This record gives sequence, C-alpha cells and structure tokens, in this order.
Amino acid sequence: MEHLIIEKHGSVGWLINDRPDQLNAMNSAMRDEFADAWLELDRDPDVRVIVHTGNGRAFQTGVDVSEIAGDGVGFERYRESVESWDLHFTAWQQGVRKPVITAVNGICAGGGFHWVAEADIVIAASDAQFFDPHVSIGQVVAIEAIGLMRKMPAEAVMRMALVGRHERMSAQRAYELGMISEVVDPPERLREAAQELAEKIAHNSPAAMAATKRALWGSLELGLTDACQAGAQDLVSMWGHPDQTEGPAAFAERREPEWQPLY
Amino acid sequence: MTAVGAGPYETLVVERDDHIGWLIFDRPDRGNAMDAVMLAELERAWQELDADPEVRVIVNTGNGSAFQTGLDVGQLASDPEALREQSRRTKRAELRFTAWHNEVRKPVIAAVNGTCAGGGLHFVADADIVIVAEDATFLDPHVSIGQVTAYEAIALVRKSPAEAVFRMALVGRHERLSARRAYDLGICSEVQPAADLRDAAADLAAKIALNSPAAMAATKRALWGALEAGLTDACRAGSQELVAMWGHPDQTEGPAAWADKREAQWST
Repeated sequence: MEHLIIEKHGSVGWLINDRPDQLNAMNSAMRDEFADAWLELDRDPDVRVIVHTGNGRAFQTGVDVSEIAGDGVGFERYRESVESWDLHFTAWQQGVRKPVITAVNGICAGGGFHWVAEADIVIAASDAQFFDPHVSIGQVVAIEAIGLMRKMPAEAVMRMALVGRHERMSAQRAYELGMISEVVDPPERLREAAQELAEKIAHNSPAAMAATKRALWGSLELGLTDACQAGAQDLVSMWGHPDQTEGPAAFAERREPEWQPLY
Repeated sequence: MTAVGAGPYETLVVERDDHIGWLIFDRPDRGNAMDAVMLAELERAWQELDADPEVRVIVNTGNGSAFQTGLDVGQLASDPEALREQSRRTKRAELRFTAWHNEVRKPVIAAVNGTCAGGGLHFVADADIVIVAEDATFLDPHVSIGQVTAYEAIALVRKSPAEAVFRMALVGRHERLSARRAYDLGICSEVQPAADLRDAAADLAAKIALNSPAAMAATKRALWGALEAGLTDACRAGSQELVAMWGHPDQTEGPAAWADKREAQWST
C-alpha cells in the first residue's frame, strides 16, 4: 500500500494513515486502499483488535482538496458512490467484526471525523484538535456528524458543523463530552496507550465481542423497543457457543481462556 | 440595529445588526412567559428573520432576569379562551413558536440569559447551538403543576444525555440544573458572565456568518433530518444533501477564497 501502513504487534493489528505531508488527507488512491486494508485486518486470524492512527502531526483531514481542485475531475469521481451510498473507507462501512480503536494523534478535521464517528472506541493525544471546516469552504457536513450525533451530545456536533474553521475543540472537551474516552498525556505515549487498551480487549471472547458490536451498532438503526428485540437475537446467538463454557471454566481455574477464532 | 419585518412587535424585539438577526423575548415582568400574542408573534418573527436576505444567523435571547418560562400560566388560568388556538395546535403537533417548528434554514443560537423553565426548554432543544449565562438555571416544573412534559424533553433526550432530562422532567420545580452542569452534559457549549452573554453570542454569530449559507442550510437539513431516521437511512439521506451542493458556486468560491487569503463571497 502506498498511503497506509499495516503492522501487527501481538494480536493487535495497526492501520496507520501515511500521507503526513498532506496531513493524511484522503486522495482517491488512499480511499481504495482503506477498503482493502479493513478487510485484510478483519480477516487476519492473528488479529483480534484493530488500532487506527496517523503518522505526522495530523490524524486525518478528510478528502484531499488539492486533488479535488487540481485534476479536473473533482468531486465527480465520488458522485456515484456517494449518491448510491456505496462507501468503503471506514470499518463500519466495511462491516468489520473486530473491535476498532481510533487513536487521534493530532489534527482531526472535516472528513477525518468519519473515523471517529465510525470507530468503536476513540482515544486521543492531549494535543489533538477537532474541527469541521466543511461549511467554510462551501461544503455540506452530513455523514460523519450524523454518526457523531447518535454517540455524543448533539449540540456540540452542530456547533462544530456550523462554526466551521473558525473554532477548534480540544481533546479535553472531547473527553468531557464523551466523544473520546481517554486523553493521553504526554501525547508521545498515544501509541503505547492504544496498544495497552487493545491488549486488554484482546483478552475477551472474539465471538461475544462481534455479536456485541452487531447489537450496539444495530441499535443505532432503530427505535428503542425494536433495538432491544433485535439485540435479544444477538444475545441468544451466543448460547451454546464454546466460548460460553470456556469463559466460566477459565475463570474458575484462574487461567486465560482459549477462545474460538472468529474466522 | 435595524427593525426586521412588516410591523412592530408587542412581546418581542426583532432586529438585525449586520448579518445577525436578533429575536429577543420581551415580557420581562412575566419571566418572558408566552401568552397568545407572543405565540403568534414568534411564528411571524422566525419567518421574517429567515426570509430577510441580510440575515445569515439568528440569536434568540431574552430581556430581564429570565430567558423563557414557557406558557403564561396566568393567562391560562384567567383567559383560557385566548389560548384555544394554541391548545388545538398542541393536540395536533402543529406548534409554530420555535425555529425548528418554523423550519428555519439559517443557523440559530439560543443565548440563555437566565431562568429557562418548562416550555422555555423548547427553545434550547430546538436551537442548533446553545450558549448560557453563568447564572442561568434550567428546570421543568410541568409535573409540579399537573402538566405533562413531552415535546421539549423528547428533543433533548435525542441531543443530550437522557438521564439528566428524565430527572428534570420528574423532579419538576423542586430542583434546578446549573449552567455549569448543562455545559458538562453538553446541553450547551459555552458559559459566559451574564454581562458578556450578548457580546459572546454576537462574536459566535459573526464567525458563523462567514460560512456558506447554502452549505449551512443543507447541513442543517441533513443533521436535523438524521434525528428522524435510523443511522444508515440517515446517512443515505445525508449523502443526497452532500451531493446536492456539488457544482454550487460556493464550492469553487470557498477553496478559491482560502487560497487567495480573502473572505469568501457566498452566493445568496
């Protein structure tokens, strides 16, 4: 891959945005690489948890506007996929079954919020900054903010969407609002902290986590009672699974459980 | 300040200053409670501000020590006939007194200058952005006078942590939520000394007025519309809003202004 790096550290798969000179903005080549990278990590039997972060001083800054402005094709290259809701650049869009941690290493702007809204868990370096400049350059904010509004207080999301590039949110405020669950200080410790968190998660039953993800993300599609009824199916789907006997047995015997692989 | 609209208002101050429209509750001796006149004037004011081509962003605040305290219970007790039309609208879910009810396309900032009680919460729930004075308080006394809380809390439950909303709805007049707690919960995004609130609202509004009006209107449609649907359906509808702006003149003007280091000239 040209713009993404995939690494494995133990049972943790790392996906690293690697266009630091363009603040990790997503050109069309990177967009295609994301689709493959998520599926590769999800299907890798050695990977139990995925961490997504960026190289350089930005995490992600959305679509590469210089490519849009400079090549004469512009946004038209994306028209068909957006109009038909056929996107493939985030874990959620790719139906990834494993837990995904986004580790925001610096600036997260505009379309960069896709990987905040569509991750399961988000942590950030203490010097991370969040803002959404779409309306300041005549663009609409939609998908990323729609996801965020279901997962955190909506007023803050609308403020970012409407104030545009004229204001930034700190990592601390993002933490207070529950947009992220951990602020890592000093910021240089971010990857270490993400690896530690991922290793904790990797101790849990892969099958139970996959069903839990299905239930919780699915609930964002439905009204409360319908979501609970659908969630009940996800709950029951694990009954009889070997992990359900292995878990209590390992607990009683004070050993690590031997989980069934997801694939 | 320039007056906005066709004629004078009795219960509101409706003005424009540069690109900022002001909608100010003006019954300070009644806690800015809404009587039948104010309810009718609110509908007119939102529509006049939304239609005024000079207005790009609207600030909603109150004169006096209260922001808004909901329906005028005094009028309800003494002259229920005057509120008959509003009762009919409530039954049919055809309310027309907030920006959201009136489908206002421009960004709306609620600047909560003091007590916000009961039906006053409509104007917090239905605003895009909320800032508050540090001595502002929030309470919902409906159940303490035998009334039901519905609309305003339903919207708040979708926009902020729900436990706090249930607590306000059920504890009624016996407890108040502070400005600080509202900030911690993300019900508002800014707390200012009372004396500075309008300046802070104007500063924020001036920043927003720099952005593309068309892009902000489409963004509002996408985000408020998202509260109506499941996540995937909302994203699918939102993607149509995204694409709808492609080819709009603001989309070339925005990056061009950015590159030239000048303010963008948005199409109106």
